[in-house]
Amino acid sequence: MITKDFTYHAPTGLDGVVSVLAEAAGDAVVLGGGTMLIPDMTHGRTRADVVVDLSRAGLSGIAPGDGEVVVGATTTYADVLADDRAPALVPLLRVMAGGVTGGPQIRNKGTVGGSASYANPSSEVPACLVALGARMRLASASGTREVEALDFFTGAFATARRPDEVLAALVLPALTGTSVGYTKLKHAESSWPIATAACVPGPDGALRVALGAVAATPLLVTVDRPDAGVADPAWRAHVREVVDAAVTEPWSDVLADGEYRRRVAPVAAARSIARALETGGEEETP
Amino acid sequence: MNRVRLKVNGQEHEIEVESCTLLVHAIREDVGLTGTHVGCLTGDCGACTVLVDGASVKSCSVFAVSADGAEITTIEGLAGDEGLHPVQQAFWDEFAFQCGYCLPGMLLTTCELLDRDQDPDDAAIDQAINGNLCRCTGYASIRSAVRRAATRMAAGDPDALPESQRSESPSAEPPPSA
Ligand code: FES
Ligand code: FES
Repeated sequence: MITKDFTYHAPTGLDGVVSVLAEAAGDAVVLGGGTMLIPDMTHGRTRADVVVDLSRAGLSGIAPGDGEVVVGATTTYADVLADDRAPALVPLLRVMAGGVTGGPQIRNKGTVGGSASYANPSSEVPACLVALGARMRLASASGTREVEALDFFTGAFATARRPDEVLAALVLPALTGTSVGYTKLKHAESSWPIATAACVPGPDGALRVALGAVAATPLLVTVDRPDAGVADPAWRAHVREVVDAAVTEPWSDVLADGEYRRRVAPVAAARSIARALETGGEEETP
Repeated sequence: MNRVRLKVNGQEHEIEVESCTLLVHAIREDVGLTGTHVGCLTGDCGACTVLVDGASVKSCSVFAVSADGAEITTIEGLAGDEGLHPVQQAFWDEFAFQCGYCLPGMLLTTCELLDRDQDPDDAAIDQAINGNLCRCTGYASIRSAVRRAATRMAAGDPDALPESQRSESPSAEPPPSA
């Protein structure tokens, strides 16, 4: 039960959203799918005087453009999964969305923009956006700006979004013909991930891997190609060295302590690369 | 206070709620249907599941005001005057529940699954019910129940139909469109 009532707005367009946010001067929270915000309000971890619900603002949808794909912030995991164009347009989001924890009820409501804005270190969306080199489109009453995903995630549950801004869309590069790889490690069906790794080979063949859930923010590393195969011990040692160097402050919570996450992060990275170089998509067995 | 219109199991309701009222509480306390359960209020257990405009959601993670104008199906909306819904019947036959706390989520997510996939394999079943925690059954009987519901509904098995629609001849009835 939420004991503190608030003023509720559900504007029917982006203009309405940003004007409510401007007026609320920092006292508003933005409601996406509600899967994280509403339980947080129920349990008193978040309080707000004003709630701005995006569900009627028309911010959902996947639109291919010139060399990029614009994903509306309120596009749900279910929207991604139901879109026949998703495997070609947003292959990494497609694979990730299929494995989101919490059942169809969460996939029906949870939004990619909400997950990014919430910036839970254990969430899957942030590291995927960093691996893709996405740009975050932020709108406010004074205009629109775009921030690189790597700069957007500033800490655990913290982003570069100002209180008067709303994340309106994610701008992803079009991945024509690139085979991506994704791995998630978790030890129970209903668990948050312990480590995720998303590999998006660059146009030059460089292997970019973004690690999620192993630190407060996603970590981006670039590793050498496995010329002698992904089982080559020397290449595995190289991956471990690169990842170890990046994981300076591992994330700890009740599910796994930092040392454990540090230990499994290179394994996740190597698996995502193996997957990207084989067929693309997700590893068979998590 | 906000005036909110909900069509619950086919019946119109107009209720007055605070902005902070959760949909699960509006359904239980304002509409008066207590088959939708409150478990965790964190979005984990699935006991509060309802269908909103045909899609399963955890109603503890939705504000009632956001659902204004929506069509909602709760567990009470499954059985007809004639008897149990085929999915309920399959859960009954397979002993797929004990205390029943998880049932709203298990039944409604199964209905949503069978709406889109009439012949789900185990992976699809697991994917459909993995947002519901059951403390009693161990899940094996739930999987069996989902398979049984799917088989019977696809085959038009008369046992899958509400009692009043059953006929003597097994092939006489079309499958229900649930
Ligand atoms: S009460 Fe809603 S998921 Fe547990
Ligand atoms: S029957 Fe008791 S929780 Fe599932």
